[in-house]
Amino acid sequence: MNKVIIIRYAEIWLKGKNRGYFERMFETNLKAALKGIDHKFVKQCGRYLIEEFAEYETEEIVERLKKVFGVHTLSLAYETDADMNSIFETAKLVCKEEGTFKVESHRGDKRYPKTSVEISRELGGMLLGAFYKLKVDVHNPDFIVRVDIRENGKALVFGEFIEGANGMPVGMAGKGLLLLSGGIDSPVAGYMMAKRGMRVDCLHFHSYPYTNEQAKEKVVELANILSQYTCGTNLYTVSVTHIQESIHEHCKAELMITLLRRFMYRIAERLALRKSAQCLITGESLGQVASQTIEGVTSSNSVVEKLPVLRPLIGFDKNEIIDRSVKMGAYETSILPFEDCCTVFLPDFPAIKPKLSDILAEESKLDVEGLIKEAFESLEKIEI
Amino acid sequence: MIYLDNAATTKPDEESFLKAREFLTEKFYNPSAVYREGHALQSELKKARSALLSGVASEADFELVFTSCGTESDNQAVFGFARRGNAVTTAGEHSAVATAFLELKNRGICEPRFAPLKKDGSVDEQALLSLVDEKTSFVSVIHVNNETGSVNDINALAKAVKKKNPRAIFHSDGVQAYGKIPFRLVKEVDLYSVSAHKIGGLKGVGALIKRKTLVLPAYIIGGGQENGRRSGTENTFGIKQFEYAAIKKFASMKADYERVLSYRETFFKSLDRGIYTRLSPENGSPYILSVAAKGLRGEVLLHMANDKGLIVGTGSACSSNSKNRYSRVILACGHDEQTADGVLRISFSPETTEEEIEKGAEILNEVGRDLARRMK
Repeated sequence: MNKVIIIRYAEIWLKGKNRGYFERMFETNLKAALKGIDHKFVKQCGRYLIEEFAEYETEEIVERLKKVFGVHTLSLAYETDADMNSIFETAKLVCKEEGTFKVESHRGDKRYPKTSVEISRELGGMLLGAFYKLKVDVHNPDFIVRVDIRENGKALVFGEFIEGANGMPVGMAGKGLLLLSGGIDSPVAGYMMAKRGMRVDCLHFHSYPYTNEQAKEKVVELANILSQYTCGTNLYTVSVTHIQESIHEHCKAELMITLLRRFMYRIAERLALRKSAQCLITGESLGQVASQTIEGVTSSNSVVEKLPVLRPLIGFDKNEIIDRSVKMGAYETSILPFEDCCTVFLPDFPAIKPKLSDILAEESKLDVEGLIKEAFESLEKIEI
Repeated sequence: MIYLDNAATTKPDEESFLKAREFLTEKFYNPSAVYREGHALQSELKKARSALLSGVASEADFELVFTSCGTESDNQAVFGFARRGNAVTTAGEHSAVATAFLELKNRGICEPRFAPLKKDGSVDEQALLSLVDEKTSFVSVIHVNNETGSVNDINALAKAVKKKNPRAIFHSDGVQAYGKIPFRLVKEVDLYSVSAHKIGGLKGVGALIKRKTLVLPAYIIGGGQENGRRSGTENTFGIKQFEYAAIKKFASMKADYERVLSYRETFFKSLDRGIYTRLSPENGSPYILSVAAKGLRGEVLLHMANDKGLIVGTGSACSSNSKNRYSRVILACGHDEQTADGVLRISFSPETTEEEIEKGAEILNEVGRDLARRMK
């Protein structure tokens, strides 16, 4: 009797004639997720099996698979001989001792002497005999014992479904450049886009020496967490120190963030085009902070010329974002108290509804092109 | 790179390292073993114990227990002796004692009491004594403060505490004093924590010096090493290297003190008074000079100096979490938050050269002026 992990996929089913392409991408991602763990990868119609792995790796495998987009559900199954006695012995491991239940059977091997209804009925009877507190309820059972007769003379016996990450395999939907700050929102925004199949590269702005190594390490760690979902990522960093200093020196204090964000978007778009990313991704949520009002968003959006800016969190409440951050495992890292560049030179009262005319007037005091060119000189790529 | 963060850690003394190397290579045995090669190490440990102790205390009255660091020594003292009633310490302690005292309250062991500091960073003696009463089980006063270099007269304080309550156990964290400040323990001091890596030893080696007749409860239990007071296989290499480094330190302590004193004064004199104000008292440890660049952020200056080839320490962490942003010790000295934000700690070693002092001060002036201009 061996343990086997069943992987079922979801939305790929819908993808008509492209299914082969999607499946190959999904398989590549699954295999990449299990790198370093000895196992056998078996492809079946509409599902995959992970076999021949060490018992102690079970949890690790499940944890990793749960992070692969495209996985609908997982099941931990036992593989046994397909005779009724073996199936019964195995089913006792899966079955609870009390409550209501039913048995669901499925024959992959149609030569099997019993029909699925017969298997269910017979196994149900045997389990009732073994556990006297059990009751059958075929409509609304507390749990289900599932039997799958395979074509190789074996049967898979399992109980519950473990919910996967759902979504689509990463790689299906192009590539985006995520503006990764170090806060709670941006890793979640990256997660959301990866969930729809997008590859994600990250861009982080720092203002060393006003920010420190710890702040950078935190961002590297966040990129690392995100990369578990995005099948790898590249992290780029750019220094905006001089830009902040120039704004501080020449422009109105309350426009610091607004002007800085315009620089960030310009730099991000240029980097995205260089790295063949097809859009920018940000963690903006409407009204969350002064720079994320519709006026603030408009002002930063207006400098992006060629690419769309995707804002998957725009309609989310902070609590909803936090829930997702916790779920993806980034929250603990996101709340580490290291400054990112936005808190240096922070005005006491940032402009909540900056007017585009004011912004342009202030910006005209700066050498925008020169500052951007200088910022690009600080571009670094960090391997994740 | 000019290294002026010697209060954080010192460069391990190479000569001691080479001399102790045989305890890594040939004499690697477990000192608790009964075969000849293992057992022979016991006498080596004894020699180390004696050399490390004799530098600060009489071997007739005190003994020394090896630990893994200064923090462990402090914790063993606090949790070994703070009992029902209350325990008294100062607002100028290293976190190893300060956090342990807060933990006393969390665990419901006893009431921690914190005596205020004077402006120079040393404890207000009268206030400390007024906190000590007949229910005080334990008193801990740092010898040399790690942020300001302020020195507490622990011998006098220990005597005064014992006069008020002879049963109170008196401990001092001597990590920044040991091997640096000429001094000998009086019998009223019950416990004294020291650490190797502040005087050319290695990280991971510390000791708790204790009055001989005091029964020290074990903090780490197990195989019964250190007479049952601190279990765990002895770090023979680290201990021997500590011994050799300390012997050298004690031999040159007075000369080192004078040299470092002149460094501190030269350094401060070279600093731009328009930017930096002095927080360290004149009569403090010459090894530590704490200054504040008011209105500027210490950590930013630290990074800028770092880029120019100078390593110094800071008193505050660059953190948007305002609770931990400012050094509690600097605030306890009565300085405001703006001052606390701009603290830099420059700490010297006898191995520092005069050119490094000159160049280091120059770099701090340069980055201070640069940042002041940028933040204008």
